[in-house]
Amino acid sequence: MKILNRLIKKTTSILPGIWFLDPPRDVSLDGYRIDNVIQYTDTVITIYFGIVVLAMLYFIIKYRSRPGHSAVYDRGDTKKHVAISIAMGLLVFFSIDVVIEGMSFRDLKEAFWNFPTGSDIVRIEVMPQQFAWNLRYPGNDGQFGTDDDLIPAQNQLHIPVNRPVVIQIAPYDVIHSFYLPNFRVKVDATPGMTNTMWFQATEIGNFEIACAELCGNSHYRMKGYLTVESEEEFSNWLQEQEEEGPEDDWGDEDEEIPTRWGWTWKEAI
Amino acid sequence: MRNHHKQSFWTKYIFSTDHKVIGKQFLWLGIFFLLFGGFQAMLIRWSLSNTMEHLPWWLLGDILYQDSPVGAGVIGPDAYNQLFTMHGTIMIFWAITPILIGAIGNFCIPLQIGAPDMVFPKLNMISFWTMFLASVVLLVSYLLPEGTAAGGWTSYPPLSTPVGGIPGQGQVFWTLSLTLAGTSTLMGAINYITTIVRLRAPGMGYFKMPLTVWGLFLTSILNALFVPIIAAGLIILLLDNVAGTQFLVAGGKATIPGGDPLLYQHVFWIFGHPEVYILILPAWGVVSDLLSVFARKPAFGYKATAICMCAITTLSTVVWGHHMYTTGMSPLLGKTFMFLTLLISIPSAIFFLNWLGTLWRGSLRFEVPMLFAMSVMWVFGLGGLTGLYNATITSDIYLHDTYFVVGHFHYTMAASVLFGGFAAIYFWFPKMFGKRMNNKLGKVHFWLSFVPLNLVFFNMMVMGYAGHHRRIFDPTEYEFLAPVLGLNDFMTISAYILGAAQCVFIANFFYSLLKGKVAEKNPWKAATLEWTLDAPIPHGNFASVPTVYNGPHEYSHPDLKDRDWISQSEPMSS
Repeated sequence: MKILNRLIKKTTSILPGIWFLDPPRDVSLDGYRIDNVIQYTDTVITIYFGIVVLAMLYFIIKYRSRPGHSAVYDRGDTKKHVAISIAMGLLVFFSIDVVIEGMSFRDLKEAFWNFPTGSDIVRIEVMPQQFAWNLRYPGNDGQFGTDDDLIPAQNQLHIPVNRPVVIQIAPYDVIHSFYLPNFRVKVDATPGMTNTMWFQATEIGNFEIACAELCGNSHYRMKGYLTVESEEEFSNWLQEQEEEGPEDDWGDEDEEIPTRWGWTWKEAI
Repeated sequence: MRNHHKQSFWTKYIFSTDHKVIGKQFLWLGIFFLLFGGFQAMLIRWSLSNTMEHLPWWLLGDILYQDSPVGAGVIGPDAYNQLFTMHGTIMIFWAITPILIGAIGNFCIPLQIGAPDMVFPKLNMISFWTMFLASVVLLVSYLLPEGTAAGGWTSYPPLSTPVGGIPGQGQVFWTLSLTLAGTSTLMGAINYITTIVRLRAPGMGYFKMPLTVWGLFLTSILNALFVPIIAAGLIILLLDNVAGTQFLVAGGKATIPGGDPLLYQHVFWIFGHPEVYILILPAWGVVSDLLSVFARKPAFGYKATAICMCAITTLSTVVWGHHMYTTGMSPLLGKTFMFLTLLISIPSAIFFLNWLGTLWRGSLRFEVPMLFAMSVMWVFGLGGLTGLYNATITSDIYLHDTYFVVGHFHYTMAASVLFGGFAAIYFWFPKMFGKRMNNKLGKVHFWLSFVPLNLVFFNMMVMGYAGHHRRIFDPTEYEFLAPVLGLNDFMTISAYILGAAQCVFIANFFYSLLKGKVAEKNPWKAATLEWTLDAPIPHGNFASVPTVYNGPHEYSHPDLKDRDWISQSEPMSS
């Protein structure tokens, strides 16, 4: 497996950019895994597509219709032909599909579906609505849905650097999708169910949260702000939120405002 | 066999039961909506590059959107959402489906299998007129005061139900018209399947059918199986919209407990993934046949190609979950869907290799249909390979709902199917209308389509890789999208050229129809049965039922002396 990994790294470094734009800067612990699997796929499909295109160009020149040239009658259905075709099919399958499947399953097991345990986890509940992100921190008791929950201003998500952040999400109205381009993660928020996702920031800074699932006419500006800060700044910020009390800035005036939207935290499996 | 009874204008051209006339009716309908949907694409591109600016005169800025709430002649976010919703819906169900399945299917199936007509001619007629009714309902939705549907072509609830907050009845009209279109497709599918099973001429075994017929056969099977499923989903959605039920609504805005938005997504994609193959299988068939005709040699590995198409058809029915990786699907289910999706690589690779094999050692004639057929190899190669990113759960977590997906499905569905459709139209035009299409204009159309199309769709994938998410009215809203804005404008210009190129096609089509050179009986020297008939082909097609002796691709056979092809119905003299 180690040799394979090294081989993958080698091949992917040869062809860094059939893509001439870079994805947003990765500031997450596990984002590199997604970049790696994309880069491996880039490399092998460039090679295969390149072979196909070269073959086509060669055929176009060599076998173009011209006086004195005629086609060779060949049905391509002998045992040899079939065997070669199947072998090529399997070659493609094992050189691309099996490898990326292996990488993907490994990354899911080691990172994306491997939910963190331990005492330093930051838990946040998110309830998107048309067209904003409502956020909720558990407060001092560590429990959601209690009176000391902290509700910061809409769309203002603060997290500490280098600590795993677990997001639990359920929308108020329609389907939204919580998308962090700089962290390579995305999770749908579907009414009637809660979804859980986790990530960890490796850099301090300000980043954007986008809604990736069409949710109405202002979908395009359903934008949130993610502030990654040091442990100290983060606890100061939490302190401030506690002093200010819950923020009630539900936009629509004629909207029924649910006062208690938090739910009991559902531990991910 | 020939139907000699007198026909009035109405029974001959309007309510005709002749499959060739119905095929042409589908062609007119498809071309109309191709232009309609294409024009919407131009408006989308304008809005993306020139957000909130007045439309120019050549995009009908003084006629369209005069009552727009953001200013006369300006596309606002509501109008933008309606545009991409209807662009997708129209291109898939009203342009590609009528052209490839309705027109090519109707025209080719009976002629290529040696049948006098479809097995149910009246059902065939009803199928077209149901589609026509669906089109009327669809177009009427534009006249509604709040405009047409705006929930995306997938119309995910709850957004597409009353709790989604989109004003007006556009969604109701969308759902109704799509149900009608599905009914039409279902009638066509039953007709095609029965015709292929029952009406093949003597000697026309399944493995002597042209691959076009194979593609249409498999497409029809998928349609017959899966259109009823989307119909069920649409009816539930319709009830939620008009009857006050909440089958597909949950969460804070639900007033009736027990609904589930995910139900719709499963139903939609159980149909929706096969739909991709429903659209592409006829194009694959056409391309496989055309490569053989213009390489002057048999389709390489004919039987393997047909079997691979069957394998892909079967696999396509069990992979719908890869559209839903980010919905919080259980890990076991996600992995299963990923594995099944990746399995499609094997038959696809064999199938693609056979295309290359057909070109190998051939004598390639670069007529316009051949150019389009070969370009399908290019666009489908790219489209198929980029599917790998979306099939893989981890890369899909990042790329899902971005322009990467948009670029990918435009390559597979729009580019491959459209170029396959153009190849088919250029190829069968002489048999349909008895005239030749202009060769030079055809080549201009090809190059002006092929190059800009790649500049648009490939760059969509690049943009998606750079993080650009879908259905964003104003890309300047996000800082992380700043690097793609230049590319965005470049794509818009490319898209205008692509759009203008289609005017060349339309001009060529109508010019050739009226003033084109009269076509010979078999201008491409093709071996399939339709080329044994003189144009115009009478109602009832063949004077006597042909007997089939050869496979569909007998080109350059060593026993042939004075020419390099032999018709399927001509015994090989030894």
